[in-house]
Amino acid sequence: MKILLTGLNHKTAPVELRERLAIAPERLAAETESLLSHPGVQEGMILSTCNRVELLVCYDERDPELGTYLNRRFSVDAAKLQPHLYQHREGEAIRHLFRVASSLDSMVVGEPQILGQVKEAYAAARSVGAIGANLERLLQGAFSVAKKVRSETQIGSSSVSIASVAVGLARKIFGSLEGKRVLLVGAGKMSELAARHLMQQGAGSLMISNRTYERAVGLAQKFNAHVIRFEDLEKRADEADIVITSTGSSEFLFRTPHAQQFMHRRRNRPMFFIDIAVPRDVDPSMNKLDGIFLYDIDDLQSVAAVNLSDRSREAHHAEEILEEEFLRYRRRLDALDVVPTLVSLQSYAEEVRQAELRRAHSRLSSLTPEQFAAVEAVTRGLVNKFLHHPLRALKDAAGAGDAGTVDAIRSAFQLPERPEEVGGISHPSLTSTREKFHE
Amino acid sequence: MSLVWLRVAAFLYGLASVSAVAALLGRSREVWRRICVPLAVTAWLFHLVASAEMLVAAHRWMPVGMHEVQSVLALLIASVFLAIALRYRTLSFGVFALPLSVLLIVVPALGPDKYTFSSPVIRSGWLYLHIASLLMAYATLIFSLAASFLYLLQERRLKDKRSPGFLEWLPPLDTMDQIAQTTLIIGFCAMTLGLFAGSLIAQEHFGSAYFADPKVLLSFVMWGLYAVMLFVRRSTGLRGRRAVYLSSIVFLVMLSVWAANLLSSVHRFSAS
Repeated sequence: MKILLTGLNHKTAPVELRERLAIAPERLAAETESLLSHPGVQEGMILSTCNRVELLVCYDERDPELGTYLNRRFSVDAAKLQPHLYQHREGEAIRHLFRVASSLDSMVVGEPQILGQVKEAYAAARSVGAIGANLERLLQGAFSVAKKVRSETQIGSSSVSIASVAVGLARKIFGSLEGKRVLLVGAGKMSELAARHLMQQGAGSLMISNRTYERAVGLAQKFNAHVIRFEDLEKRADEADIVITSTGSSEFLFRTPHAQQFMHRRRNRPMFFIDIAVPRDVDPSMNKLDGIFLYDIDDLQSVAAVNLSDRSREAHHAEEILEEEFLRYRRRLDALDVVPTLVSLQSYAEEVRQAELRRAHSRLSSLTPEQFAAVEAVTRGLVNKFLHHPLRALKDAAGAGDAGTVDAIRSAFQLPERPEEVGGISHPSLTSTREKFHE
Repeated sequence: MSLVWLRVAAFLYGLASVSAVAALLGRSREVWRRICVPLAVTAWLFHLVASAEMLVAAHRWMPVGMHEVQSVLALLIASVFLAIALRYRTLSFGVFALPLSVLLIVVPALGPDKYTFSSPVIRSGWLYLHIASLLMAYATLIFSLAASFLYLLQERRLKDKRSPGFLEWLPPLDTMDQIAQTTLIIGFCAMTLGLFAGSLIAQEHFGSAYFADPKVLLSFVMWGLYAVMLFVRRSTGLRGRRAVYLSSIVFLVMLSVWAANLLSSVHRFSAS
């Protein structure tokens, strides 16, 4: 089974492209199902956040051409998409997934949302049966690495989050946040975080609007905020000085004509739009209007990236942990790869059989070829019968991820150390045998 | 003696200007930040002493010659800068206000004035008010223009979303807007008061003929523009680019009023 990970993220693709590929959470399961039906794909998962869209698949022989899958699925021009895609295989794919889950690949390194998003992607894939033993093991590994990185470094605690960048920008516009009104459109972890941050820094009041009114009411109770009906948004958004949008809408909620009205009604007092949604909720051309300041997710993150230098030490520490965990995971994977053990156990038995036959050679010289062949058959049958249970147990242990049993059997037979495998490339002499066993 | 104090003041203003620029752009900003205000305050004190001595020596309490006017204007500008630095905790204005003070007092510091304003009315109490108020109006208008300009810079920076480090020192937009508005209102009050005092004097001594003078007419045009600008700014919340245009126009008119001395027959500083 081979692993392939392909996709694009904030480093390789602009938000204009990412928003075309973005998959809404409620469509994730269905999308994963269609990925699973793509020829060659055995197991699969789709991770779609505002910063990345990644496909993770396991396949056997035929390379599932995921680039063409993306082209077809999202009707994006292949030539346009190709330069932004990256592909990782085997070890590299595993390492990449670990980095993503640990938030080391995020633009704001250490931001806490990404692990939850990976878990959601995993849950969606699981619900449509796209997670098999391989991805199960891989993702559990990724979750535990992420946990370890978070608990053993300061990377999350001093996180220069999007929220604090937004607060800094609001300060540059409004001076003090005292008495400023914040409007939250749509609900999401990140936007809630930003709103909470602004309130903590002294913003006066909070208004909440959501397509589902009940959801808005629920949130409003949590934050002690007012609710604005979604239909009234265009009429009343100008009451707020700071507007945070994060809806799943595929259309812009606010466009330039709205903004002109807002500015007119506000007598040109500035308005700060923070658009966390991908696809975006606010028309980017609005930023050209005097008095409107619009920052989308990329803008915020590029500002955040400037502040990162003080955390590079923690990030470095986190990278070391990650590398350690990656090697440990690989070793465990290798330990569970019982093919070398099966091979050496069998060759050991065969050697013993051959040696015994050679020792008995003088006493067996009177036998006719037919009789000798019968002796051969009997000894071989004996060895096979004898080995049947240990071999079965090895395979079962591999399936169950039980490295202890594998080690116990190895030491019981005093098998030599397994040949080291480097960088995910199998020992060449084993490959053919391995294929035989997998069949 | 006043010339010596003025030269010391000019030198200290120069140092303060350098430290203001360094406080905003340089490496060890905190150090510069700490020495800028004390330097400016010391310079201001010397400047105050010099101006007082200059006026005492002339046996009158008002600046009338070109040099004296420049010196007092520079003193007012430095005062406004210090007031803003204390009230809004920003040194940004020092970048232009302190060098401007230096420029204004360089010529008066070089030597005594050849030109003085000769008029029998210069000992009138109304004239103190006239001159002081108008100089105050000029000083605050300069600050208002500068604040609008810095607002524009900060706005551009926020809109471009790049963060070039060399503009990091700009105060928040709202602070800049408040400074622009406040200085504008103070300036308008001062200018109204100044023109009112001037008109009273003129009415009393010269009659209505005085109001046909180019400089005087320009002054009233300036007042009108000032009023319009204030009205537009307050009613529409004008900010950014347009506010800068408007302030610049008024500022140009103000400069031309200053320069109109050459055209004026009654309101001019003549060679004594």
